[in-house]
Amino acid sequence: MTRLWILLAVMLIFSPARAGADTTSPAGTADFFGAPVMPGGKEVSRTDARLEKSFDAPPEKVLEFFKEALKDEKEVKFRYRASQTYVEDHAARQWHSITIEKNDKGGADVVWMKDNWTWILGTLILRFFGVFVVLLVLYLAMAISGAIISRALKRAEAEP
Amino acid sequence: MTAYDVLEMVNGILYTTGLFNLSWKLCVMWLIAGVFLYLAIVKNFEPLLLLPIGFGIFIVNFPLVPLMGYTEAGHGELLRLFYRYGLEWEVIPCVIFLGLGAMTDFGPLIANPKTLLIGAGAQLGVFVTFTGTVLAGFTLKEAASVGIIGGADGPTTIYLTQHLAPQLLGANALAAYSYMAMVPLIQPPIMRLLTTPEERKIRMKMLRPVSKTERIIYPLLASAVIALLVPSVIPLMGMFMLGNLMKESGVVERLTETAQGDLMNIVTIFLGISVGATMQAENFLSAKPLLIFGLGLVDFMVCTAGGIWATKIMNVFLKEKINPLIGSAGVSAVPMSARVSQMMGQKYDKQNHLLMHAMGPNLAGVIGSAAAAGMFIAMFD
Repeated sequence: MTRLWILLAVMLIFSPARAGADTTSPAGTADFFGAPVMPGGKEVSRTDARLEKSFDAPPEKVLEFFKEALKDEKEVKFRYRASQTYVEDHAARQWHSITIEKNDKGGADVVWMKDNWTWILGTLILRFFGVFVVLLVLYLAMAISGAIISRALKRAEAEP
Repeated sequence: MTAYDVLEMVNGILYTTGLFNLSWKLCVMWLIAGVFLYLAIVKNFEPLLLLPIGFGIFIVNFPLVPLMGYTEAGHGELLRLFYRYGLEWEVIPCVIFLGLGAMTDFGPLIANPKTLLIGAGAQLGVFVTFTGTVLAGFTLKEAASVGIIGGADGPTTIYLTQHLAPQLLGANALAAYSYMAMVPLIQPPIMRLLTTPEERKIRMKMLRPVSKTERIIYPLLASAVIALLVPSVIPLMGMFMLGNLMKESGVVERLTETAQGDLMNIVTIFLGISVGATMQAENFLSAKPLLIFGLGLVDFMVCTAGGIWATKIMNVFLKEKINPLIGSAGVSAVPMSARVSQMMGQKYDKQNHLLMHAMGPNLAGVIGSAAAAGMFIAMFD
């Protein structure tokens, strides 16, 4: 047990997190927990963990701004979905995502989310469950095929 | 020619040697290489891998050696080429899986397919460690690649790390293979802690014989399920199942022999030396590898516990109880962890033979860790 505590202490001391997470905006502009915030627009809502703004500029223009602002960031993933673009941070930064969505007026609604453990834990639990699903499906497939083959073999043996 | 000119010439020659470029960091790496060579040669811990890895670490940590860089013409040097085409292109882990498939007998798993669920339970540590690794300041991709170490599957660890965080390849591979070699030391205390003496004595019914038809259908069935549900790991699992189909069909004996023998040996050499070569002092001597080794150990322990807990949960619903000692074999480390289950079982009941029963979760662990790797790849792609 003592060794375990020593190990944990060493891990904590050497933790890269102690060096401080990157909180600066790559574009050097105003930021929300380090994520670039496009100037202008109307603030719809703001909490400690979420910022929502509405822009008159079309979503393509807004996306262009974020692409330029984040062009040097390797650990940022742009996911293009039907009606929105979802920008996700895979590094140890303090922001988690930026969602750009077309609004009714042809402009863009942008939502910034602070990094949160709900997302990480949620996705991990789902994926752990996913491993069970994969092996469960394989189990069912094997059980069914095994039963069919065993029955066929028994029938073949019974035939004169 | 004056004496000064001669001295200048000697000086010039000396500067082309490595002597003037030595540093303490290189010496530390020689020591690390020495530890792995010692473990391989003297302790016989995973020598097939730790020996070439140890030598790879040793040889790349000399100044000016043309091994991992690029020539003036832009071509890769010797080990850089092995690394590029073998690991960067993700070829070697898949070829190793071909050989493993050709060596694997899926009979125990086919005879008792419910042990597949133990293999899933044993992936618990992979996901728990992910959280710990993020807390330690790693990126999400790095966390996924460190988490998979607990799956105790070398090629899967290398495949996923190369895919998500190639900068951690050396440390991750080394941690995975080191802990796999140390399974007989790591697992027994956890097995004792989580099971009661009565549970350890549970005897399991003899496995039914498995027909050749079932053995041939299994790799096709498994390939189809994996290809449909976690397509990103089909390069690994497809090769694994191909190797097994070659073996079970019995019609391509020459190919099977090559896959499980010469081919496997050849790629193992390239794998070992390429992994070792990634561990150059300037990349390796930082806090991260130390953390990876620490987190990897926790990972292994939680995965072992996960397998045992999965067995215990299954026992609540089953009429014929499963000996929870085979749960620890859910970490893949084939066949070492199955042997540990057998050894522990015999300690408490000399007539209790758990080896074949433990091979089921052991093989399920291989598929489980590949499924977990697939989940992570899907998360970031």
